[in-house]
Amino acid sequence: MTLVALCVISFLHLQLGGMASDTSFNGHVLTLFEQSALLFGTPAESFTEINYYYVQLPRWLMGLIVGAMLGLVGSLMQQLTQNPLMSPLTLGTASGAWLALVIINVFFPSWVGEYSAIAALMGSVLTLLLVLAIVGIRNVSGLPIVLAGMTVNILLGAIASAIILLNDQYAKNLFIWGAGDLGQNGWSWLQWLLPKITVALAILLFAPRLLTVLKLGQQGATARGVSVVPMFLGFIAIGLWLVASVITAVGVISFIGLLAPNVARILGARTARDELWFSLILGAILLCATDSLALWVGAYSVDIIPSGTATAMIGAPALIWIARHHFRAQDSLSISLPGGRAHLGRYTGWLLGACLVLATLLYTLFSYSGNGVSLLLPNEFVWSVRWPRMVTTLAAGAGLAIAGAMLQRLVYNPLASPDLLGISAGATFTLVGSSLLFGVSIHESGPLVAFSGSMLVLALLLLLGKKHQYAPSMLILTGISLTAMIEALVHFALTRGGEDEYVILTWLSGSAYRAQGSHALMLLAVVLVLAGLSISASRWLTLISVGRSFATARGLNVSWAYVLLLSCVAMLCAIVTTTMGPVAFVGLLAPHMAIMLGAKQVKPQLVVAALLGALLMLTADWLGQIVVYPGQISAGILVSIIGGGYFIFLLMRSR
Amino acid sequence: MLIKYLAPIDWLKSKNKFTQSITLATLVFCLLFSWSIKAEIWVEDSDGKHSFTSHPVRVAALNWDIAEQVIELGVTPIAMPDLTGYEQWVVTPAIPEGVEDIGARIEPNIEKLMALKPDVILIAAPQKDLASRLEKIAPVLFYQTYSESHDNAAAAVDNFRKIAQLLDKTALAEQKLQAMEARLDELRSALLTAYDGNLPQVKAIRFASVNSVYVYGENSIPQYALSKLGVVESEVQPRTQWGIAQKRITALQQFSQHTVLYFEPFEYRDKLAESRVWQAMPFVQQQRFNRVAATWSYGGAMSILYNAEALSQSLLELAPR
Repeated sequence: MTLVALCVISFLHLQLGGMASDTSFNGHVLTLFEQSALLFGTPAESFTEINYYYVQLPRWLMGLIVGAMLGLVGSLMQQLTQNPLMSPLTLGTASGAWLALVIINVFFPSWVGEYSAIAALMGSVLTLLLVLAIVGIRNVSGLPIVLAGMTVNILLGAIASAIILLNDQYAKNLFIWGAGDLGQNGWSWLQWLLPKITVALAILLFAPRLLTVLKLGQQGATARGVSVVPMFLGFIAIGLWLVASVITAVGVISFIGLLAPNVARILGARTARDELWFSLILGAILLCATDSLALWVGAYSVDIIPSGTATAMIGAPALIWIARHHFRAQDSLSISLPGGRAHLGRYTGWLLGACLVLATLLYTLFSYSGNGVSLLLPNEFVWSVRWPRMVTTLAAGAGLAIAGAMLQRLVYNPLASPDLLGISAGATFTLVGSSLLFGVSIHESGPLVAFSGSMLVLALLLLLGKKHQYAPSMLILTGISLTAMIEALVHFALTRGGEDEYVILTWLSGSAYRAQGSHALMLLAVVLVLAGLSISASRWLTLISVGRSFATARGLNVSWAYVLLLSCVAMLCAIVTTTMGPVAFVGLLAPHMAIMLGAKQVKPQLVVAALLGALLMLTADWLGQIVVYPGQISAGILVSIIGGGYFIFLLMRSR
Repeated sequence: MLIKYLAPIDWLKSKNKFTQSITLATLVFCLLFSWSIKAEIWVEDSDGKHSFTSHPVRVAALNWDIAEQVIELGVTPIAMPDLTGYEQWVVTPAIPEGVEDIGARIEPNIEKLMALKPDVILIAAPQKDLASRLEKIAPVLFYQTYSESHDNAAAAVDNFRKIAQLLDKTALAEQKLQAMEARLDELRSALLTAYDGNLPQVKAIRFASVNSVYVYGENSIPQYALSKLGVVESEVQPRTQWGIAQKRITALQQFSQHTVLYFEPFEYRDKLAESRVWQAMPFVQQQRFNRVAATWSYGGAMSILYNAEALSQSLLELAPR
């Protein structure tokens, strides 16, 4: 059955390829007979024939192979880790490759032609090693590895954006790769890729035995004389290699590796061998089908539609749908962060407050002019530029920290960060979408557009989460899917060229530069109200963080509480994103630092985290204005780099 | 006191105080009147008319295409964004000595800008939403060159004139524009001679990768420059804001009768040369394909000339003689 589907889709893909080229260059369409003649060795002569043989055929084959590999590796990883969320996408490898390519293009432009493949390969392998180093090889079966992957994803993405923004023109050629494109120009990439993926045979031949044994659990495996750990590591390494090669060849194509194995299981693949083979074929079908769609839409549009964009647009809703119907709620907390002090010191809160006041004063008075530093009372104009920025960063930091602290307790996972819910991505989506559709500048379309995007995602989350009583894995899965889909759309916007892309990129970097007085005050007011609400709801949070059943037993309507608290988190995210763009890591980091300072109860944690978040953001914004003076690095990027680096250090030390 | 200073003037030495004060009043009135006449400088930007009391001297240009035109007019702007980027991508005209860098184009450093005390701030679309804030520093004028709804090349020339009017350089601007037209004529006749009066159709592109290209079409400066060189374009691509569309490389096949010119830099030249599809392109087979020296495609009026120079140079290299 699946094989028939594969044939049908392949046929469709090749014909669509012909159509797409036909509309653009008035050539005649090759008949099926001519096509088969070309396949069996007639040399291609006319341009249409050459196009068929050197563009359409390799693209089709590339689609099949890439899809198959992504499906296979996805299945392998999911079976090895018993984790249906595991996939190349959720491991953050793509952003590693992306960063490596950006670095090569910006700093070593003369190497671009020759070494970019090797650089991308190294980037993705290093990223995977980093993610594994964070969670530890024994911790790969739960949400933690997904969260760690996304964390690394955000960190590397932020560094790459900073480099692009500071050197805008160089990275231009990369955007289409970033969007993931199967388009081929001859057989060279296939020739490059094929020898590298022969190792996949090892998976198909030898993995089923190990995987079958693994299903019995590790003890069972050892009892049968299989030395699990070395084989496990070996297969992981092969999987990584395959993914890295594929990413290097075609760029970022998400979702296939995550979807195919899940579809295979739904279609009834029971044994390990079946699942591997089915995922392989399904991966090929899925990618071929979505790429057909890209070809078909591309035939009618002025610009190229990258394959990766089409895949994400189809993949994200499909994944959410599958998750809704076939996942069991399974939440495991298997990672612990350093404990820190047992109690909050008596003066810690005051000390923090004093630091914050000091930082605020410094922010107000400090002037840097390239060659000199002065501490002066700002004149009226400078003050009118500085105070909205200061209020925005302070309120944003505090708001995100509170949102993060609440969310981590709601989903029982210390690695959850509010931006993983997709709320910020929702705002990005509507802003970029409106700029694409109506051609308005992203800075002019206004906060309402952004806010409505965030609220749309919140509504989706609440709607989709209800069935699973807002189980964390579902929430995060939905968030990740939405985020990946929106990333694909943004990359598409970036490939279109012109000078708009830097406006979009700057917005994405989360900068307080454009903060206006009225918006800043609005943000402050909303954050204060929501902070007040969250502190007054701290009893709910305490009950919920002990356990759902415990909370129910104490007479709390858990579902209702979830809706309210989640909305609170989402509102905080939405208002911050609306005012200064997406900001990562503050919401992840501040609550942890609070705990390390000893604020373990809900109420003190919220307060201390808010203070820390505000301090972090303010410092980042201040530093960002100094390090590349007279240019600036946005607070969002700087906080991601500082916070991300620190967080990874923390995670590694905690093991 | 004033009378004491004016005393040497004979007719002020009037005997009675009344005549003195009348004369003085008349004098002050005259001064005031001439002052108000002097205030009548009206300049135009993309938003409409604005009045100035005198021609601004300290000019801050917040976008590259604006800065380029200010420099062309012989005025050294006090501030420009991202000087290193400009030197790498826009290149000509070169930045004169003494221009201050004010950071990114999208996020100019406002505090530094204020400290430089400009008389006027010139902005383009990326800074449009900052106008109200910048107005607190100095009057802001907005010049939109690139838009889907107008002719970019005409807008570039138009803006050049408007900026010249503001800087009191109208004569120079007209002279430069005439010189440009003259030079364009020269280039055109040189091309005509080289091609025996038979210019090919030409398509200007910029490579994005070995698989995709930006094609310059309607509303782009390179296309306009080509038309000024006498090249007639029959393939019409829908107009866009920047005049470009990203296409797959195979789409270039539709330019079967064209000469195709690509803007440098392009790192993948060797890789592309190996491609069979590329070799099958009619313009590659018939050697109607050449490189164009790196030129900024989103510039101001004079960039039409720079594009034309680079493009015609490239076409001359391909010419039969």
